[in-house]
Amino acid sequence: MSDSVDVIVVGAGPAGSCAAIVAARAGLSVVLLERGPFAGSKNMYGGVIYARMLDELIPKWWEQAPIQRWVTRRSTMLLTDTQALTVDFRTDAWGEAPYNGATAYRPDFDNWLAGHAEAAGAQLLTSTTVTGLLRDSAGSNRTGAIVGVRTDRPAGDLRARGVIACDGVNSLLAKEAGLYEHTDAKHFTLGVKETLALPKEVIDERFGVRDREGVDIEIIGGTGMINGGGFVYTNLDTVAVGVVLKLSKLAAQSLRPEQVIAGLKANHAIAPLIEGGEVKEYSAHLIPEAGLEMMPKMTANGMLVAGDAAALCLAAGIWLEGVNFAIASGMYAGETAVDAIRAGDVSARGLAGYQKRMRTTFVLKDHRKLRRAPALVLSDRVQHLYPAMVANVAERMFRVDNPQPKPGLRRIFAQERKRAGVRRRDLIRDAWTGFRSYG
Amino acid sequence: MAGTRSDWVGDYFMETMAATEFRVHPDAHIVVDGTVCADCTTRQCIVACPANLFVPTTDGGIVFNYEQCFECGTCYLVCNHEGAITWNYPAGGHGVVFRRT
Amino acid sequence: MTVVVCLKWVHDAAQPDDVRFGAMSPADHSALELALQCGEWAHADVTAITVGPAQADHILRDALACGVRRAVRIETSHAVSGADVAAAIAAVVADAHWVWCGDYSIDNGSGSVPAFLAAALAARQALGVIHLSFGDAPTIDAGVIEATRRLDGGRREVLEVRAPAVVSVEGATAHLRRAGLTALRTAAAAAIEVIRIATPTRVDDCVVQQYRPRARELAGPDGVSALARVLSLTGAGGARGAASARRTVVLDPLDAAGRILTELREWGYRT
Ligand SMILES: Cc1cc2nc3c(=O)[nH]c(=O)nc-3n(C[C@H](O)[C@H](O)[C@H](O)COP(=O)(O)OP(=O)(O)OC[C@H]3O[C@@H](n4cnc5c(N)ncnc54)[C@H](O)[C@@H]3O)c2cc1C
Ligand code: SF4
Ligand code: SF4
Repeated sequence: MSDSVDVIVVGAGPAGSCAAIVAARAGLSVVLLERGPFAGSKNMYGGVIYARMLDELIPKWWEQAPIQRWVTRRSTMLLTDTQALTVDFRTDAWGEAPYNGATAYRPDFDNWLAGHAEAAGAQLLTSTTVTGLLRDSAGSNRTGAIVGVRTDRPAGDLRARGVIACDGVNSLLAKEAGLYEHTDAKHFTLGVKETLALPKEVIDERFGVRDREGVDIEIIGGTGMINGGGFVYTNLDTVAVGVVLKLSKLAAQSLRPEQVIAGLKANHAIAPLIEGGEVKEYSAHLIPEAGLEMMPKMTANGMLVAGDAAALCLAAGIWLEGVNFAIASGMYAGETAVDAIRAGDVSARGLAGYQKRMRTTFVLKDHRKLRRAPALVLSDRVQHLYPAMVANVAERMFRVDNPQPKPGLRRIFAQERKRAGVRRRDLIRDAWTGFRSYG
Repeated sequence: MAGTRSDWVGDYFMETMAATEFRVHPDAHIVVDGTVCADCTTRQCIVACPANLFVPTTDGGIVFNYEQCFECGTCYLVCNHEGAITWNYPAGGHGVVFRRT
Repeated sequence: MTVVVCLKWVHDAAQPDDVRFGAMSPADHSALELALQCGEWAHADVTAITVGPAQADHILRDALACGVRRAVRIETSHAVSGADVAAAIAAVVADAHWVWCGDYSIDNGSGSVPAFLAAALAARQALGVIHLSFGDAPTIDAGVIEATRRLDGGRREVLEVRAPAVVSVEGATAHLRRAGLTALRTAAAAAIEVIRIATPTRVDDCVVQQYRPRARELAGPDGVSALARVLSLTGAGGARGAASARRTVVLDPLDAAGRILTELREWGYRT
């Protein structure tokens, strides 16, 4: 077996497997390296995959992907210690092909996707950790073109014409290649979650769904004084409940992650949904939250970076999408590598088509559109002041306070804004930012 | 006597950690240099590590046990003391193994 | 000269068919490492063999990646006992000089396969070994391995083992080497030899049933009226028949035993 291949893909998450599928189908020799004992074993997320990008790679993927439920009901909840204001949307359309979002376990989904990479001809090697990059001996150690990787196995060097780094949020490879200027705790959030087992009928009844229908609840507030958010997702016979916490705040508030989850689970808006659930797993993972603000250079001589490794996760409050961005950027990285290898130029310039592919598609368009959203959603006002303000307005509006006559909404609002200590100027500015981002 | 709230969160936490599978390698993948920690005032790792693996000692040091690590990266990001944490992934095939995440 | 290592794929109780969570036991890891060392010592190729379903192929691939030359999987038509497993393996590797096994599998194994295997191969056995040292300068058949096994009460037994022999080892005896990258890539594509055997369904030679007391004959109750028959059945009012009357006899032990037996026979408990 030769110790050189066309393409090495590091990391068998969605980005890596899709890059490998594309490159292998184009006839290149591809090795896909994964440090876990199987693809997906290290991967944790909240719970919903938007997989329309797979239409191209795996037609009718929904007939074979190991999904749990199709999300037909999506709730956005503003939560305080004693109040909850929910916008609840449901549609039958998302329960039919081609579907919208699906809950799935990543150890199942990623493993399935990696199986497609193998079927396409890529060689998947698991239990193999990549420990560094091989550089062209002509250049210096820091700048020479990347010509392969080093693994933790004996005689573990493997050379390739191109390396695609899909090694996730900590991307030791993108850092080693010098693509990140610096990394800062403030760009990341920590996600922790519990997977709680409940009988399927109980879940169906509590969440008001049937068969394979599922629910996605995104929560703003409910994380104490730590900026972040919460989520509840239904699987077939488990419910995932978790929180996403801003690292810099977490440390400052002497409240541990599991205590924040315990607080959310005890909230009266959440507790009845998960009562009696037996804990099956506890997990934690980082999210590259800052979007465009933290994105690295995505190409080096001989290397491309895709998925979370390139901070392509879109984490903008009520949106938490990363798998779809990983799939798309992995595909584009695969295509770019194929073109560059065929053209015989894998220098950063030869790989420049990658940026273009992403700029002209949703990958960077969505990020650009929502570039202000992460900071807004995680701001102190949105986190600590607005939920109570809005919930109080709702409480007073729906309260029947006879013999008092009903107050006008505008007055309630003005009073609650003052009570919450929100300056009008800030409110208008945030509303404008939100409007420009999401609008 | 009923335990305090932080007690039962603690007991429950032990249970949740026990529900997760870790294929522990004999060598530590993360090494904490306690001598650097001795002059650390922020000690953010103690609060932030989701697996609660950083434990302060009475003499101002830190005891760290790598065995139930999620390999998440939080600790090296929140630690602002250069050289306190040497962070790596465990050898291939070892460490945390998720099933329903 | 052949060296053989027997490996067992053990599924995960929660997800039995899922190849992701199946594995070999630490004892098998240890056996694999020692088989490889034995092969280097005796200048012989190592064969890995397993009895199991297709899911077990992946532990054979791991063994190939670590340096085993040949990998054989025996597929049986139905679940088999330890003796059947040993017989199936022995049929394939009848000429083996050194056979390495883990001492117990992790799924409630009884550790019987190595012993059955030694019997089937007419080989020596060293079971439950915790320490080994390979003697020096072996000629093909003359090598001696010194094996230490655990005895009760913390004592140890040291054996000098010569081929042919079956050695079963504990999990901590040796640490399995890590497969090299190229070997891993080669093994991933390697073919696994599959041997299908139809194991005969064995007829059980002893039949076990639930305990049931023997039926005894009862004469119908005497009496013309219904009341008389009920009285005679229940013995109420002293109307019970002579057969059930209480009698006290004084006898010496031997006669007493004889009498008990006679009474039991009369009552229908013995024939
Ligand atoms: C709490 C939380 C909730 C989320 N919720 C959602 C959601 O609901 N929907 C959504 O779409 N996205 C969500 N995301 C984001 C999503 O999980 C990621 O964006 C996505 O997994 C990125 O895919 P990837 O392939 O780039 O990286 P990953 O999935 O992280 O895969 C990286 C792979 O590389 C491997 N690897 C890493 N380093 C090495 C190495 N040195 N050698 C070998 N292998 C290596 C890893 O083992 C892993 O398999 C969430 C994330 C978190 C943390
Ligand atoms: S690991 Fe870092 S944050 Fe934690 S005590 Fe040591 S120096 Fe401080
Ligand atoms: S990587 Fe995560 S789980 Fe592991 S020690 Fe650091 S913070 Fe804790």
